[in-house]
Amino acid sequence: MTTELGIAENDLVAASARAGGQPRPPARFRPARVIMFAIMVVVAVIMLYPFLFMLLTSFRTEAQYQLGSGFSLASWRELFASQPVLRELLNSLIVSAAAVTIIVVIATAAGFAFAKIRYRARGVVFVLVVACMFVPLPSIVIPEYINVSKFGILDSYWGAIVVYAALGIPFSIFLMTTYFRSVPDELIEAAAIDGVSNLSMWWRLGVPLARPAMFTIAVLQFIQIWNDLLVALLFLQNPSDQTVQVGMALLSSGRVASVPALMASSVLSVIPPIIVYVLFQKHLVRGITMGMGK
Amino acid sequence: MSRRQVRTAPAGSAAAGWVLSLPALVAVAALLVVPIGQAVYYSMTDWNGITSTWVGPSAYTTLFSDPTFLRVLENNGLLLLAVPVVIGVPLGIAFLLHEQIWGWKFFRSAVFLPTAISWVVIGLIAVRFYALHGILNSLLAHVGLGFVKTNMLGSTHQALAAIGITLVWSQLGSNTIIFITGMAALDPALAEAARVDGAHGPRIYWSIIMPQMMRFIQFAFIITVLTAFTAIFSLIFVMTGGGPNFGSTTLDFCVYQQAFGQSAFGTGALLGVLLFVLVGAVSVIQVRLLRSKV
Repeated sequence: MTTELGIAENDLVAASARAGGQPRPPARFRPARVIMFAIMVVVAVIMLYPFLFMLLTSFRTEAQYQLGSGFSLASWRELFASQPVLRELLNSLIVSAAAVTIIVVIATAAGFAFAKIRYRARGVVFVLVVACMFVPLPSIVIPEYINVSKFGILDSYWGAIVVYAALGIPFSIFLMTTYFRSVPDELIEAAAIDGVSNLSMWWRLGVPLARPAMFTIAVLQFIQIWNDLLVALLFLQNPSDQTVQVGMALLSSGRVASVPALMASSVLSVIPPIIVYVLFQKHLVRGITMGMGK
Repeated sequence: MSRRQVRTAPAGSAAAGWVLSLPALVAVAALLVVPIGQAVYYSMTDWNGITSTWVGPSAYTTLFSDPTFLRVLENNGLLLLAVPVVIGVPLGIAFLLHEQIWGWKFFRSAVFLPTAISWVVIGLIAVRFYALHGILNSLLAHVGLGFVKTNMLGSTHQALAAIGITLVWSQLGSNTIIFITGMAALDPALAEAARVDGAHGPRIYWSIIMPQMMRFIQFAFIITVLTAFTAIFSLIFVMTGGGPNFGSTTLDFCVYQQAFGQSAFGTGALLGVLLFVLVGAVSVIQVRLLRSKV
């Protein structure tokens, strides 16, 4: 099935067919495959070593880190004693979860309208909303900061949540619309003949159908928002609202930062996105490649 | 190729369409479109956060004669040197993975992992990599190049290179995934036909596969440029703070630095507007290219 904008679905179907598919015929030239394997081993070391470094360093004291040997839990203890790191993780979770929820709800509603309901100005509204995915955060961050501060919500979670939601909405709507367009109209029509109103059609048919796309959007946006620094740095003015990324960035710019404690904090901060990554890698891949319909 | 929607939901559905898409429209208009307008207005003012005076369009011409600003633009240009690497290397990796060498699933996950990691953590580790007593120098010492003591982050000219290399490392995964998807969607009959005609490995890749990969390369290109121009604020914040001596300040970072470091909100907004125009130009060109090719 091909959509007006996209080619991605075809490719994805082919990609997944391949992934689970038939083994390719054995290569004729063995040594070449050994060399290829060796190259990939080097690549894997380059990609994974930084994470090993992070993990090992977190289990050293500053002195052991300088020396390059020995292990200790002291830096972990130091981190928990000196930084409100659990509170920061909780803040990250609250802000990301709230923003992701808003994004998914708004995108599921608008995606259905853009793909399945015909109304005047639909095309214009769709283009306007989706084109906004090219608005770079740095371009609007100053006015956004002024506006949010005028609403007096800089010292709550809401400023950051609203900004994250706005930034995530255009691309998510694009994904959701592409997804809904791939759903056969017949499904919707059958319901329409039964005299179901459009709104309840969205709720009773659209939302359950959209589950895979909702998931993809949630995974993609969670990782993006959890990992962001700029919005959290500016829009969460209350020190007790600080996210884990802000905590690490500020800690590292202080003069007394202990490298192992920083690495321990890094380890904690990457656990949630890595869990999401490991569990939902397929959704993440789909999210990235579905953008190709652009 | 596009499938027009022949049949759609019944008449009288306009209200539902508006109800479902209105939240998206309001959010995008209030939080992305209006701020762009405000940014254009602010960009023509001289505004230190307390008092604001109208300068007019001459703010733009003044900026272009500022050597620091030209330096920043030059840095953005230099960062583009990373783009061919961020395209070329993942093409190679995707090729190796596509051949399904032993352990390719593991390698794929390893390459893709940084996609889930925040710029802050990547930056924190990268700082230890480039440090005077860091990993890079000990690597150099190991291969007998100990006399080349590098301190890339402390050097005006090398700091940007260090950031560029880190950017390359972090983006290998997402581009590799794009290319793997592309290669999986190729038509195997074409390569087979070429093989029958007597073409071999490299020739097949160059003449048969590469042309089919063009739209994936273009997609990866735009994503990479957008990332390099608009998303590496946190990396710079953690690794160099834009220094030494503006050596690693890009437009993206300069917006923050001017507005929230120097309280030059007008200049910050102006830089943001320029970034928006730049990104818009890249995106429009890209969309045109895609339209003409597909």
